[in-house]
Amino acid sequence: MSITNVSSEVIGSVWKVEMKVGDAVKTGDIIMILESMKMEIPVEAPADGTLSELKVKPEDSVDEDQVLCTIES
Amino acid sequence: MSELEESETLDGRLTQLRALEERARQMGGKEKLARREAAGVMNARSRIDALLDPGTFSENGLLGVSTVFDEDRDKTPADGKVAGFGLIEDRMVGVVSNDFTVKGASSSMTNMKKIGHIKRTATDRGFPLIFLGESSGARMPDNMGSEGMGTMLGNDPHQYARERETPWVSAVLGQCFGSSAWYSCLADFTVMRKGGVLAVASPALASLAIGQTVDPEDLGGWKLHSEETGMVDRVVETDEEALVEIRKFLSYMPSHNGETPPVADVPAGSDEAAANIPQILPDSRKRGYDVRKIINCVVDQESFFEFKPRFGRAAVTGLARLDGGVVGVVANNPIAKAGALDVAGCEKVTRFLVMCDSFNIPIIMLVDTPGFVIGIEGEKKKAPGKIINFMTALQMCTVPKLSVIMRKSYGQAYLNMGGGRNSDSVAAWPTAEVSFMDPRYATDVVTWGRNASDAEKEAIREDMERNSTYLGLAQIFAAQSVIAPQDTRRYLIEELKIQHLRRSRGIGRHKLANWPTTF
Repeated sequence: MSITNVSSEVIGSVWKVEMKVGDAVKTGDIIMILESMKMEIPVEAPADGTLSELKVKPEDSVDEDQVLCTIES
Repeated sequence: MSELEESETLDGRLTQLRALEERARQMGGKEKLARREAAGVMNARSRIDALLDPGTFSENGLLGVSTVFDEDRDKTPADGKVAGFGLIEDRMVGVVSNDFTVKGASSSMTNMKKIGHIKRTATDRGFPLIFLGESSGARMPDNMGSEGMGTMLGNDPHQYARERETPWVSAVLGQCFGSSAWYSCLADFTVMRKGGVLAVASPALASLAIGQTVDPEDLGGWKLHSEETGMVDRVVETDEEALVEIRKFLSYMPSHNGETPPVADVPAGSDEAAANIPQILPDSRKRGYDVRKIINCVVDQESFFEFKPRFGRAAVTGLARLDGGVVGVVANNPIAKAGALDVAGCEKVTRFLVMCDSFNIPIIMLVDTPGFVIGIEGEKKKAPGKIINFMTALQMCTVPKLSVIMRKSYGQAYLNMGGGRNSDSVAAWPTAEVSFMDPRYATDVVTWGRNASDAEKEAIREDMERNSTYLGLAQIFAAQSVIAPQDTRRYLIEELKIQHLRRSRGIGRHKLANWPTTF
């Protein structure tokens, strides 16, 4: 079993979260959408597994490289 | 050396020579080598063995030692820098591998002659030069005092002149101060192992000089150089990985600037991947995406070799192959800063353009940018200078330049990304959107500082909202072609054939070849 951290590529805020803890995810699934520079930035699952932790919620500010959620495989 | 004088026969001298050679190969001794091995770090010679094709290393200067102080003759095998020539994928390269177990691979009278010889030969005979960096700086006390300085340092007016006649590669494989730092800055490609340090001077000296404890990672660690300075192109975990990266980088490069890069076979599936682009490109113009996915659909499969992935992320740069031939890809990445180019992005692209132009590598630009990042932070970092450096570099590139406007292309960035005749040919996707700035901003700009009524503003906004689509570009021939996204690969392959530098057999004019390396 391994844990994959999913990090933000950008400074911005969380617009909406599309999944909940416990959901099965496949590589490329959109877990949440951030907002930065008036753009929607989808956050995609980098691995197959289960969404094990969500570290942010809508409207939270996020930094570049901040861990947003984890996937357990 | 008394043994040499005592031996009168050829056999005797040969026996002695073998013994001296064997001793030089022991480097700084078993204990130091064992400590490195236990730490999982390779030594100067094992690095060369892993880097080159097996059995191809021809060493120069094996018996070189320090002669400044007599007592150092026996303590300086190969004088701390292992140097010579060998093959990588059957092509000649020159190598200097720093041996930190011998006086910290410090620069000295003899080993600087060794570096000079390898560098001169590689340049004159036309093959790449590889520095495996791990050195402490100038040797002391050899360099101390006015006589030390006058004798030891420099004495070579061409030592740090970089004219990009052949590709240079540097690896930061430990502490890199002095020459290892300088050559890393001069190289076309620098790979760094985590744990390495690239800085002007050691943390110890920096601590002494400023009276503060300096953390090596803060001073010159991989995070600093891969994210803040951009002086390192790729970061790896181990020495072995660094050597693999060097071989991979060189697979894209010609041996010298009078050659075109080597052509490779096209992997299966390369022509099919472009069909996936419409699924990657979001329907909404407000939705970001990772442009690297699109690059991977356009170029030959598994061929994209990205430079500085963690630095200036709004721009993506990397070498790749298109129908087997090498190209340099410059793209905006809407997943970072909406693709808006900042100072770091400009520096990253400029340096990449300089390298491509110097080594006859055609440039492909994939455009989706709302413009340059504006604001105080950028101005403090000389944003206007960085933007115009990028622009000047692009205009001075004499290799073929192709630009594909995928989505947004605004303002000055339209020119920097190849619009307005700043590339040899522009293609637009039907999703292209080109203007000077967003109409809402334009309205605010022209009504700034006066009380314009809402009605007046609305009228101005309508004036500003001129046709921003691909059709405008096509009708005035600002785009030479309009293509479907899934035809991009085919278009680029055909257009590169048209733009091939036939008159010079693919060789550019290298007008950027002696640009500074860090600007």
